[in-house]
Amino acid sequence: MSPANPAFWSRSMVHERTVAKQVLGHLVASGLLWLVSVSASGAANASSQPDQLKSLSLEELGNVEVTTVSKVPEAVWQTPAAVYVLTRDDIRRSGATTLPDLLRTVPGVDVAELQGNQWAVGIRGFNSAFSKDVLLLIDGRSTYTPLFEGVYWDVQDVLLDDVERIEIIRGPGGTIWGANAVNGVINIVTRNARDTLGTLASGSSGYVDRFNGSVREGLRHGDHLQFRLFAKGLVREDEQNVNNDRYDTWHLVHGGFRADWNPSKQDSFTAQADAYSGASGQQISIGSYAPLKQLVIDDTFSISGGDIVLNWQHSYAGGSDLHIHAYFDRTNRQGTEFGETRNTVDFDFIDHINMFLRQNLIWGAGMRFSPSTIIQTQPTVNFAPHGKTDSIYSTFLQDSFRLLPRSLALTVGSKFEYNNYTGIEIQPNARLLWNPVSHAALWAAVSRAVRTPGRLDRDLQLTDVYTIAPPILVRILGSPNFKSEDLLGYEAGYRQLLTNKLYADLAAFKNHYDKLESYGTQSFGTITTPIEGEVLNIPFANGIDGNTDGVEIAPDWKPTGWWELKGNFSHLHLDAHPRPGFSDTETATSYEGSSPHRMATLQSQLNLPHRAEFDFDYRFVSRLPAQMVERFQTMDAHASWLLDKSLRFTVSGRNMLQPHHHEFAGDNDLPVGIRRSVYGGITWTR
Amino acid sequence: MSCGLVLLLLFPKFCNAQNSTQFTTHDVEAAYLYNFAKFVQWPDDKSTSSQQFSICLLGDDEFGRKLDELIADETLQGRKIVARRLSSASAAESCQIVFIGQSEEARLSKHLAALTMKPVLTVSALPQFLEHGGTIQFLFQNNRVRFAVNLASAQQAGLTLSSELLKVAVFVEGTAGKESKQ
Repeated sequence: MSPANPAFWSRSMVHERTVAKQVLGHLVASGLLWLVSVSASGAANASSQPDQLKSLSLEELGNVEVTTVSKVPEAVWQTPAAVYVLTRDDIRRSGATTLPDLLRTVPGVDVAELQGNQWAVGIRGFNSAFSKDVLLLIDGRSTYTPLFEGVYWDVQDVLLDDVERIEIIRGPGGTIWGANAVNGVINIVTRNARDTLGTLASGSSGYVDRFNGSVREGLRHGDHLQFRLFAKGLVREDEQNVNNDRYDTWHLVHGGFRADWNPSKQDSFTAQADAYSGASGQQISIGSYAPLKQLVIDDTFSISGGDIVLNWQHSYAGGSDLHIHAYFDRTNRQGTEFGETRNTVDFDFIDHINMFLRQNLIWGAGMRFSPSTIIQTQPTVNFAPHGKTDSIYSTFLQDSFRLLPRSLALTVGSKFEYNNYTGIEIQPNARLLWNPVSHAALWAAVSRAVRTPGRLDRDLQLTDVYTIAPPILVRILGSPNFKSEDLLGYEAGYRQLLTNKLYADLAAFKNHYDKLESYGTQSFGTITTPIEGEVLNIPFANGIDGNTDGVEIAPDWKPTGWWELKGNFSHLHLDAHPRPGFSDTETATSYEGSSPHRMATLQSQLNLPHRAEFDFDYRFVSRLPAQMVERFQTMDAHASWLLDKSLRFTVSGRNMLQPHHHEFAGDNDLPVGIRRSVYGGITWTR
Repeated sequence: MSCGLVLLLLFPKFCNAQNSTQFTTHDVEAAYLYNFAKFVQWPDDKSTSSQQFSICLLGDDEFGRKLDELIADETLQGRKIVARRLSSASAAESCQIVFIGQSEEARLSKHLAALTMKPVLTVSALPQFLEHGGTIQFLFQNNRVRFAVNLASAQQAGLTLSSELLKVAVFVEGTAGKESKQ
């Protein structure tokens, strides 16, 4: 049969989507992934240390500024965006051992585990195995990888006790953070070294999370210099793989330090470094020319890397300040399928000026160079060229000013960013904030954001074996014409302290997406080397437009001093359709069916006598037809007991309501079963 | 510099507020309760009758474990400081400090009547607490927790308040001429 045969063509038209899907499935299973799926305010916990107050005099106590309500920092009333903060308490009491699991209780954030070492994290739709529309920052260091246009979650590892808080901003963040902060930003802020003096040792063991261990030592030199050193390790078991192949194990060792130096009241310096090494298992499907067949193999990616982050903040009289931030990041991944070595250097400065007429002007500039080299290990998996330097030059300006002295503020600004793929990208926003009474805020925003192409969109050359006799190959190809995906977003929100014990936050959004990724026009060709046969070429294209709208509701109720209940509900409607001249309805359907339309969580935090705590959270996620995932509900529970000031025992169970459940297939054939896990742990501090 | 670059950039106000560790009113009130113990002198018979120094809470517990963590392993003149939750004011016999919670507003007069003439330092954030005969009332002023004192109530209870405590109080009632600092 040849492509000239009409019978083949009709069959081909029916099956090509399936083929492409299988091909992509391989990418996904291998960690090369791409497409897609979905969906997020809140009361932030004040991480207080009552012990610090103990030593104050009566007079000093009278000068301590307090939050008016236990859980809501004053700042949320001045924030014209859908922001949610996970505090140290939230982090510890969640019992989570990985960063993505921590985010599961955040309103509007869709966390789906693909397998034991891969997660899809989406905000307000278009989730994907590499979380490509969400920007994850750790102490200002971007974790975005231009190769797969997203986050390698299996190397985003922090000592959770070192985390001061995690800020999650739902909605476009391009004006400040630039490209690829399309649907939201997740910022992990680690603790100042002065807050981690002394020794910490903790260990836990159980099912799925077989081992987690960390040690930390915090030291000081005089009053102005503090630093900490840490080392940690994790071993995670396989999840419930389709055929019990036990391929998705994960282990990682990680060490680092942080030093904070405050030579004067005006200046603070921070230096941080990390180094890690480990292995992340996956099942991959690789096209092979000799013998000619499609192979399915269990692969283990060696993952290693590190970073150095330097930060200087200088405060001027009058409330203005200057930040200078620089980092180097190295990422290595090497598997049977392919390898990549990437070095990223980034430099940013930001100047914040308090000006006349109560204006807050922020401007800054930055540059990033990220050379990478692909180590090709298979003739069928390639990025061409092997070596490429991704670069960004950017500047931004944003001003906030008062329209009414106390109650109405307008923020306008824009990012201007040059990248090596699409040239100049402009990402403006305007935000309005109204405080009708104290402890109530109504806000609205209009923003533009873009997802710029990466190496996958432009340089991928992936070949799969479709049939052996006759020999027919399928090639997914990056397209040199691939453009940026655009977002124009409208948002509004309201938050209010309804009573002393009840806080509620509501946000609604409507987003318009243009030029989303799809497959373009396919073409048939023949090849003669390394085999003789036919090849179906499928290029990427910007062939889909989309719309999302939705609401997120997040109440927080503290009926008594020892019990807190937090809930959230998110609704999302996502519509995607081919643009004029394109016909890829299947990818459109995949976008639509890879994001939950409804999510709900209920969280209870209970303080018991004798310094014991019992917490649980329940969650519901609606079905994902494109991921072959049915709707599910499950529950995590966490109990801990502080024996004396230095020893804490913990028992934690996750996904308690069933032996295993599915969360995301990532365009793979079948999703992996995410298992119930239980662990016990002990933490010692001195 | 606990402020993250992220929020600072978009919303400088967020960060200004986050720069200082944030405390709740209850954090500060708990610290006051602990501190008051050092600036109040109880009648002798009371202070020697027990090996424990009891800070008692009447009404719904507003502090959670905050108070317990604050006073854990702390002693006062060799006596271990403990926090106790009371079901009624009549159980306050062996308490040195009684904090009356928000939930007790309707029963305030009853509670204070039960405690009157007893060597107990009564503290509350309820409005009109001093007028009802309470000794120390927390006040919320300008995002800060301050306190006012009814000296007559203290004297009735046989308590001696140090001059340092009186100096810091926003105002002191129940002295000759109603000395007032504000």
